[in-house]
Amino acid sequence: MAKVEVLSEVTGNVWKITANVGDMLAVGDVIMILESMKMEIPVEAPVPGKLVELPVREEDSVDEDQVVAVLET
Amino acid sequence: MRTRIMIVLPLPAISNGDEMKAAVLREANQPLEIEEVSISKPGPREVLVRPLAAGVCHSDLHFMDGSYPYALPTILGHESAGLVEEVGADVTYVKKGDHVITCLSAFCGHCEHCVTGHLSLCQSPEVGRMPEERPRLHKGDETIHQFLNLSSFAELMLIHEHALVKIREDMPMDRAALIGCSTTTGVGAVFHTAGVKPGSRVAVIGCGGVGLAAINGAAIAGAGMIIAVDMVDAKLEIAKSLGATHTINAGQVDAVGEVRELTQGGCHYTFEAIGLKATTEQAWQMLAPGGAATVIGMIPVGTMVELHGVDFLAEKKIQGSNMGSNRFRVDMPRFVDFYLNGKLHLDQMISRHIKLSDVNDALAALKTGEEARHVIMFDQ
Repeated sequence: MAKVEVLSEVTGNVWKITANVGDMLAVGDVIMILESMKMEIPVEAPVPGKLVELPVREEDSVDEDQVVAVLET
Repeated sequence: MRTRIMIVLPLPAISNGDEMKAAVLREANQPLEIEEVSISKPGPREVLVRPLAAGVCHSDLHFMDGSYPYALPTILGHESAGLVEEVGADVTYVKKGDHVITCLSAFCGHCEHCVTGHLSLCQSPEVGRMPEERPRLHKGDETIHQFLNLSSFAELMLIHEHALVKIREDMPMDRAALIGCSTTTGVGAVFHTAGVKPGSRVAVIGCGGVGLAAINGAAIAGAGMIIAVDMVDAKLEIAKSLGATHTINAGQVDAVGEVRELTQGGCHYTFEAIGLKATTEQAWQMLAPGGAATVIGMIPVGTMVELHGVDFLAEKKIQGSNMGSNRFRVDMPRFVDFYLNGKLHLDQMISRHIKLSDVNDALAALKTGEEARHVIMFDQ
């Protein structure tokens, strides 16, 4: 088992979290949608695995390269 | 004995809004599909707009090809003009029938950016709907994500009242649509972001809609030398008609060397209007000491730009420009006046008028870089 951290590519706000801790995700499944400079930017699972941590909540601000989710593969 | 009489009134039917045709992007790098989509009724501060014209912009391509990821499915399009169809209960700025241009720089009006005059930097989510609200666009239970709070490749648009501006009624709608993005982005970068001064030396890299608008803006601002750089001769010819004093085909010569030769030392202002690492670095290299490079183009997410550090000793500056640092409620009516009094040349920016169903052809034409803008015309 390995843990994979999912990073935000942009600075913005968490608009909507679309996955739950415990969900089994495939590559490309949307975990959350960030809002940055009017854009709705999806954060997708980069590898297949179980979503084990969601360290952010809706309406939180996030920075570029901040960990926004953790998957267990 | 008292009798209680209960009168049961029928509940008003919950309106699902209107049905409309729209060009939906369901997967990156796939054609848009023309689908029937539902659009909600206006909330208190929302306006339903019937677009009459919508420009097909190169920025739409960045989202279509995935270089800028976006929540899907979505309806692209963000450069439009049309008529107000219906207003929400609290809207007083516009009424049914008003002519408007829409703008993605929707502003909340009370955040730090807004109250210090930088409305284009507003990031408040309140100009959209929150996750718990019924989405503005949907198809049954499926959410269709609104693109940049606009989604103009559609027969109707439901937007925040702060995402539009009233304009005079003698302005042609197809020209007005261009002011909704490319014109404001290019001219605004010159006027607001860079603050080009009369007599200065300017180079613009990339002669698409935004770059050409920057050239036109530099001419209006009174720049002394305006150098247009592109790899397509036809676009360089358009650039000349908009005020470029010199043109360089970067496919044939070293653009940086040519600019430095022409200017005998570099430009006071350069503008990158493509969105590439290489051309951003060239914009920096074209600067004279003390000059400022303004990056307008959308550089793909994750791309890093390299600059020669010693150049900072020459007080060179580099900055981004988002939607021309606009205050669009003020800027756009002025740009309309500029067009109608002959200063802003929008006629040659439109290469073709098309139907919504032809939008994929327009996007394909943008990829080749050989045509100016296609504008979708909607039936009234």
